[in-house]
Amino acid sequence: MTDLRLAIQRFDPSRDPKPRMVEYTVPRRQGMTVLEALLFARDYMDHSIGVRFSCRQASCGSCGMKINGRPRLACYTQVDELGGDSVVAQPMDNYAIIKDLVTDLGSFFQKHAQVTPRLVRSDAREQDNPTKEYLIKPDELSKVLQFTYCIKCGLCTSACPTVATDSKFPGPQALAQAYRYTADVRDQGGAERIESLDSEHGIWRCHFAGSCSYVCPKGVDPALGVQLLKRHVMSGKPPHLAEEASKEYRAPQTQT
Amino acid sequence: MSVGEEKAKNRRGLSGWLNPYHYNLERWAYVFQRVTGLGILAYVVGHLGDTSFFVGGPTGTGPSSSTWAFMSNLVENSFGHLILVLVVLILVFHGTNGIRLIVSELGLVLGKPGAIEYPYKAKSLGAVQKAAIGLAIALALVAMVWTYLILFGGTI
Repeated sequence: MTDLRLAIQRFDPSRDPKPRMVEYTVPRRQGMTVLEALLFARDYMDHSIGVRFSCRQASCGSCGMKINGRPRLACYTQVDELGGDSVVAQPMDNYAIIKDLVTDLGSFFQKHAQVTPRLVRSDAREQDNPTKEYLIKPDELSKVLQFTYCIKCGLCTSACPTVATDSKFPGPQALAQAYRYTADVRDQGGAERIESLDSEHGIWRCHFAGSCSYVCPKGVDPALGVQLLKRHVMSGKPPHLAEEASKEYRAPQTQT
Repeated sequence: MSVGEEKAKNRRGLSGWLNPYHYNLERWAYVFQRVTGLGILAYVVGHLGDTSFFVGGPTGTGPSSSTWAFMSNLVENSFGHLILVLVVLILVFHGTNGIRLIVSELGLVLGKPGAIEYPYKAKSLGAVQKAAIGLAIALALVAMVWTYLILFGGTI
């Protein structure tokens, strides 16, 4: 097999005035992922290449980067599927660069936390000390299940054209998670969650370019979540009748 | 402050809006929707400006008759006709694609969330979206050709 030409964007903000592309020639093998190519270059050619990774199986979301112009997980992208003999690896757009391919996801996690990504009960005592287990029916679960597969890799927010210009926009990941919890029948915090998102820099800044769903490696489809969230707001109804549903499907009380 | 601090921010900025390269068809439609919107805005401002001066059409009194002549000179030639043909193209595309966006943003034709399987094709970017964008392009082209035939061919 021919060798692979691997171009990596090198940039250390503490020393370099601007990024530069450096090309490495890596021996290619069948089934090789971009991450493997990057690690080969780091291990045998230049130890100073900055690349973040962990699980190597698209579970942790650490190795998100721009590969041949599109945000992808390096561990989940095979060199063969890209076609051609060259791969261009750059850091994801819209995140500050720490070094080379490593980006700062701090603001991304912060926006995720701002949409209250957890089940909320209106009764504060119940929230802190639940008296029972809250169950969910399979068909109700299927309405939110795909959004729970988010691994917070940040690819969607990197692809989003709105995030590129509006730093206050929560981004597709956070909005999809807002939908995931709001649409959950066990949740009672939907009204408060939506109140902060029904704003100038909230859900209405999404114009459905769909790039988030296009790049998502886990099939979360954030664009669908955001549009369904808009639908909830436009309909003027509460997202669901959480109280009734949870009463109906309450777990049987254990005998003490 | 480090030397590369400005570059390290790494925000895409306006190119994120304007450059859909490497992305999906809906992203291309998004860019064209915005660009055609700006084009229509420019046209509408100009259109309102010139029609505001018409009082009583070509035989009217006051500034209207001279404005009419001015506008005739501007539009009644090949270049003016070409601009009008393009205006029809972007108007019809923007309108049709806009209806797709309004319906989609109400979550109506995107499919329901549910169990997903590899290779995880996003439901919201399904055949309905592709067909609607195709329809917008087709209608815009038909309208453009029709306008061209009227203005240049002398038919109808």
